[in-house]
Amino acid sequence: MNHDPFANTAHNRDASGLARRHRTGKTWQAIFFSSTVIGLLALLALLATVLDKSFSYVAIEYKVEPASLAAKPLDELTDAELVNLLEANLSKNRLRTLDRAKTLTQRTHSDLLNLVYENILEPRALASYSISQWITNSQQIRAEVAKKYPHARLEFRAWINGNFLIDPLSGDPLLAGVRTALLGSLYLIAITIAVAFPIGVGSAIYLEEYADKKKWYNRIIQTNIDNLAGVPSIVYGILGLAIFVRTLAPITSGAFLGNADSNGRTILSAGMTMALLILPVLIINSQEAIRAVPNSLRQASYGLGATKWQTIWNHVLPSALPGILTGTILAISRAIGETAPLIIVGAATFITSDPSGPFSKFTALPIQIYNWTTRPQEVYRNIAAAAILVLLISLLSLNAAAILLRNRFSRRHA
Amino acid sequence: MASMEISQSLTKTTGTSISKRLKKQHRPAEKLIQGFLFLCGAISILTTVGIVFELGKEAWLFFRTPGVDLVDFFTTTTWQPSIGKFGVLPLVNATLMTTVFAMLIALPLGLAAAIFLSEYASHKARSILKPILEILAGVPTVVYGYFALNFMTPLLRSIFGESNVQIYNTLSAGMVMGIMILPLVSSMSEDALSAVPRSLREAAYGLGATRFETAIKVVLPAAFSGIIAAFIIGISRAIGETMIVAVAAGSGPAFTFNPFKGAETMTGYIARISGGDLAYDTPDYNSIFAIGLLLFAITLMLNILSRRLVARYREVYE
Amino acid sequence: MRRSVSFLVLVIALSVILAACAPVGTPTSAVTEPNATTAVPTAAPADPTAAPVEPTTAPAASSAIELPEVDPSTVSGDINTAGSSTVYPLAEVIADNFKKDGFAGNVNIASVGTGGGFERFCTTGETDISNASRAIKSSEVEKCAALNPARTPIQFRVGTDAIAVVVSKENTFLTNITAEQLAAIFTTAVNWSDVDPSWPAEPILRFTPGTDSGTFDFFVEVAVQKTLGLESLDDGKRMVLEATNLQTSEDDNVLVQGVEGSPYAIGYFGFAYFNEQADLLTAVSINGVAPSFESAESGEYMLSRPLYIYSDASIMKEKPQVAAFINYFLTNVNDVITEVGYFPASEDALNAAKQAWLDAMK
Repeated sequence: MNHDPFANTAHNRDASGLARRHRTGKTWQAIFFSSTVIGLLALLALLATVLDKSFSYVAIEYKVEPASLAAKPLDELTDAELVNLLEANLSKNRLRTLDRAKTLTQRTHSDLLNLVYENILEPRALASYSISQWITNSQQIRAEVAKKYPHARLEFRAWINGNFLIDPLSGDPLLAGVRTALLGSLYLIAITIAVAFPIGVGSAIYLEEYADKKKWYNRIIQTNIDNLAGVPSIVYGILGLAIFVRTLAPITSGAFLGNADSNGRTILSAGMTMALLILPVLIINSQEAIRAVPNSLRQASYGLGATKWQTIWNHVLPSALPGILTGTILAISRAIGETAPLIIVGAATFITSDPSGPFSKFTALPIQIYNWTTRPQEVYRNIAAAAILVLLISLLSLNAAAILLRNRFSRRHA
Repeated sequence: MASMEISQSLTKTTGTSISKRLKKQHRPAEKLIQGFLFLCGAISILTTVGIVFELGKEAWLFFRTPGVDLVDFFTTTTWQPSIGKFGVLPLVNATLMTTVFAMLIALPLGLAAAIFLSEYASHKARSILKPILEILAGVPTVVYGYFALNFMTPLLRSIFGESNVQIYNTLSAGMVMGIMILPLVSSMSEDALSAVPRSLREAAYGLGATRFETAIKVVLPAAFSGIIAAFIIGISRAIGETMIVAVAAGSGPAFTFNPFKGAETMTGYIARISGGDLAYDTPDYNSIFAIGLLLFAITLMLNILSRRLVARYREVYE
Repeated sequence: MRRSVSFLVLVIALSVILAACAPVGTPTSAVTEPNATTAVPTAAPADPTAAPVEPTTAPAASSAIELPEVDPSTVSGDINTAGSSTVYPLAEVIADNFKKDGFAGNVNIASVGTGGGFERFCTTGETDISNASRAIKSSEVEKCAALNPARTPIQFRVGTDAIAVVVSKENTFLTNITAEQLAAIFTTAVNWSDVDPSWPAEPILRFTPGTDSGTFDFFVEVAVQKTLGLESLDDGKRMVLEATNLQTSEDDNVLVQGVEGSPYAIGYFGFAYFNEQADLLTAVSINGVAPSFESAESGEYMLSRPLYIYSDASIMKEKPQVAAFINYFLTNVNDVITEVGYFPASEDALNAAKQAWLDAMK
């Protein structure tokens, strides 16, 4: 009989089971992978819609035709002729202001040309066609523009460009830039992180290392923090208005530094309000990170004679740093994109001067974006898209430092 | 006899007795630091006190205006303050619907992505993919609102038919909210999964488990606390999200279970009224504080429940 | 532990004391700017040919009041304004031009809604100018009087916004309606044929701005309450909100999308939003009057809405930059208002505003 003595061993019996388990594993791996891909696809779709509007073909009409100003094309005129044009056509106030900023006769040729375009020719955008519309319908668009706006010219325009970052806010979408709003947002984030990071990490250390979990007040603090993560941002705005803008006005308006003509609606108040907003996320993330540090590490440190604080500072925190940094990244991401609490605390929608310190009035990027998307003219959606790109790029740069640090410190525990 | 001699000679050389040197050292700095850290924790209490006070003050005014009845507030299903109808159920219902839709997207996808990044992806892939996903968390909520309106809703309309899907609907707002919350869940869960000691995984492999079985049966339960924390934050964020629902779910309160119809949520209502033209100190305006207080109470109940759950099932290793 | 708790109590007590001692409102600094802009050199305040002095009623129709010329570079300091989001685009352009013409100080405009603007002007006293798309309410005037120092709001009419009643271009049956039909369309009618039997028997799909917006209030007051002769505004609101197939929105752009989506849809919003999509939408004439430059300016079009800015005489005198800004506004508003998308105020109204400026500066 050719009976295989090993035919019925555990190994052979299990062979099909093992294959099945591997197949299950592979299926699930594919599912996990596709979930990540879905997230990435959503991000791509979002970016595509934003990029689509950041470049467009614009129908521009000049209030004054260039041909009527001079016989030659404008860029062939000499500097002196351009200055004469400006003097002849601008109001004396406008002229004086331009001259005071930089003497007209000393300006470069391209600078003078720009001044003529902006102040005399006064271009107006009558219609705007996004990239996707152009790619599918360019012939139709050309015909339509020729019919509806016979005096307009169709130009390609990249709304996100260097000038967009440098120019101040303006009522004219063709001339608008986000410099004031960008500076406001950056100042705001700086104050927010400076206030929230120490307090957030400090609270997490207290709750995880020092607090006796069984005591009732520590449990209240914990539940409290969890709860605050879900409070809508508007409520924080209302709180910030009551406390920082009204009650603490002498501090937040800079009055104690002698700044008399001011009220509490400053970057400082807004920064502290946003710090309260992101504190719960920061605390919870830091808590989880500290909790995950293996106790053996702490015990080893105590065994070598370190005090509690020395243990925390030298061993627990560095281990927990990746998690804390994730919390920071998520917190900055939230803070930079919030609109509603800023409006309640007193951010302006239009402001003519750049912020000069924590006690200035300000505006922020998300407020501009929101304002521009509610305007009727299509051109405003283009500059809103460009502002969104500026915001995302700033966010990436802010997070980059945290991400690099996180990658360096993250390692698998034994 | 000999030990006494030794201790005496030691005392002579060092000037203090051994017992004194071995006594616990007082470190005032440690106490100070502990006090400072407690203060940090206490700030959160102050914040809550402030919120409850601010909201409660005005909400009290609201509930005392004639025509506002507490029972009606919680039971009737029409919310139109401008004509004196104060039933809060439509708003609560819309909030719950958008939250559920958001969680249906964010929790499974987020957790799955976290498992992939932590257990399957190479270290380099993970260090690139994780920050890219976190970009989703940084997009301003206003942008998401318009994304829902201009991309998601037309998509839904093309799938389900234009006459079935209104321009404002809770499904599209909920789905986009889910996309926004996905990086929160995935990043936090991934951190929790990565923090599980490698020895655990090695032990499982040593016993013959496949990678999938290790991930699900060993690593996931060990990271349970962190994952639940991620879920809690995700749900809290969904309930409290303002701009996306304000833009995409509509500004008409409606008590409906149809996801293709528009219905204003609690937060959307607060955003609309606080930014509008209404004069202050009208019942319409004060109602937003009552709604804010209700929202606070709902999230509080949710959090207490979930923390109880976590405390019961959490596994601690070493 | 006990120490920590008592420390906490101390901190809470401190914050309560701080809250109690907080100052109310901000004092405007006394800026010493003696003579620059308050002089009224050559331009006469009222028309000199009309002998009896009646400064408040409009002078002879053909003349316009001239305000003293303003040079923005001679004034500096802060100008704080807040208010209506409808007036905002107009204020933004004027402020931008004010800066381009030499103003070195800071102008900031917050778009928080008319109600929010009055709150900041009358209750907390932190703004100098309030932008409004409706007239100030008496309760708000009372709050201004209760401030310390008290404020008496002065109204300056700066422009007109026409509310267009809009249908899709595919809608061929609606071109002109009477005021009664308008009221019926937005309240009790369910199908189009209920209003006029010759119209299709399809349900009316309604798109309106949110209940907190001035546009909604204005529409209900003029198109529903006055036309149907209702007792109170609330009755009108109830009828509008109980209509079938109603969708409301904060964002007029979305209302536009909604109306474009069906030939049986109808909505109303600011004229500028209609104008941008004029090839896909039709503005309906009411009582034979279509919204246009002339009909909005003259007030003939039923749904034309005034745009105002408010300030106070003592603010204008203490802060010459505010007076200069209002002067600049009134002088230059008609040059920019059509580009922004609104219509100019009638000449009489603008003259009255200019006269109010001159009176305030006396």
